[in-house]
Amino acid sequence: MVKQITDATFNEETNSDVPVVVDFWAPWCGPCKMLGPLIEELASEMGDKVKFAKINVDENPITANTFRVASIPTLIIIKDGKVVDQSLGFKPKPALVAWIQKYL
Amino acid sequence: MDDLYDIAIVGSGPAGVSAAVNAKIRNKKIILFGNNDLSSKLNLAPKIDNYLGYYNVTGRELTDKFIEHLNSMNIEISKERINNIYAMGDYFSLMVNDKEYKATTVILATGVLFGKPFKGEVEFLGRGVGYCATCDAPLYKGRPVAIIGYNKEAEEEANYVSELASIVYYIPTYKGEYELKENIEIIKDKPLEIVGDLQVKKLLLANGEIEVDGVFILRDNVAPEQLVPGLEVDENHIKVNRDMKTNIQGCYAAGDVVGKPYQYMKAMGEGQVAALNAVRYLDNLATNK
Repeated sequence: MVKQITDATFNEETNSDVPVVVDFWAPWCGPCKMLGPLIEELASEMGDKVKFAKINVDENPITANTFRVASIPTLIIIKDGKVVDQSLGFKPKPALVAWIQKYL
Repeated sequence: MDDLYDIAIVGSGPAGVSAAVNAKIRNKKIILFGNNDLSSKLNLAPKIDNYLGYYNVTGRELTDKFIEHLNSMNIEISKERINNIYAMGDYFSLMVNDKEYKATTVILATGVLFGKPFKGEVEFLGRGVGYCATCDAPLYKGRPVAIIGYNKEAEEEANYVSELASIVYYIPTYKGEYELKENIEIIKDKPLEIVGDLQVKKLLLANGEIEVDGVFILRDNVAPEQLVPGLEVDENHIKVNRDMKTNIQGCYAAGDVVGKPYQYMKAMGEGQVAALNAVRYLDNLATNK
């Protein structure tokens, strides 16, 4: 499933053998609420190949700042400890799948 | 789901109205978004000579005929303005601020009124430039923001943002009485360019410049790819095939928004094609259950 991570747990949780998709969201953000269920679906469908995590930017400003998250939702893909891509805004599921598959 | 419409039609010009009529005849549960006078482009047309059966007619006369037709079929027009449409897979979520409408299919008939972007607008999208102030306002807590407003609804957004931002500059592109909070600075000048490096730093105007971290541009119409994230467009137009299907399953488009010629009969024909294909898609879903 999609794990909630924090400023404190970020490094540990994103240190992984498989690519990690991090969803930067906030409770007041409309498009984030729309994207949320799609990320959950992807987590159950692709969970063996990709790790999915989400981080609330209100509660975790340090991480949001480190990655210069200027609009939400923002998704970033971390592979081998490095950010390889980021995606801004809502995307329909087929577009998300295509985007993630580029990094598998 | 109670409130799941079969087809949501966005836009009440000739394309949208035609789609609505055709979908209703096929007994689908529809909702039509637009305005009472259908389309200002249509009803302001002084003379139309190429509309079959109604030669030498005014746009106003045609509009009145269309309204009569809608009324005869009990098709209502919902005047709420859709901010965003999210393709959720099995259905679409149409947002009017916090209110959500759900529909299995959507027909976009929004026309071609969206303005040209400012210099720097596209480059800084997501890096300080946004189209929804209420969505992103908390990210600018304690920081200076500019809002370029094209209509009265933008004033409400500006008022909300002023509760969070350190300062809000409101740049109206329209005249009138502005119902803005006292702490908002109104700048009656022409925006020219948005500049910065990794993020927005300044908004340049014809007679000056302001230092801001964010610029929100609140226009009348939203460009289709902003309205429907993930939608494939070709410059100003939505890409469709001959079935009026877009790249998103269950989403169709018709009328001026899909391309030229910008003509009523073409729009109405496309509205019909879109509706009939949406109906076919719905009927297939039902039989495959």
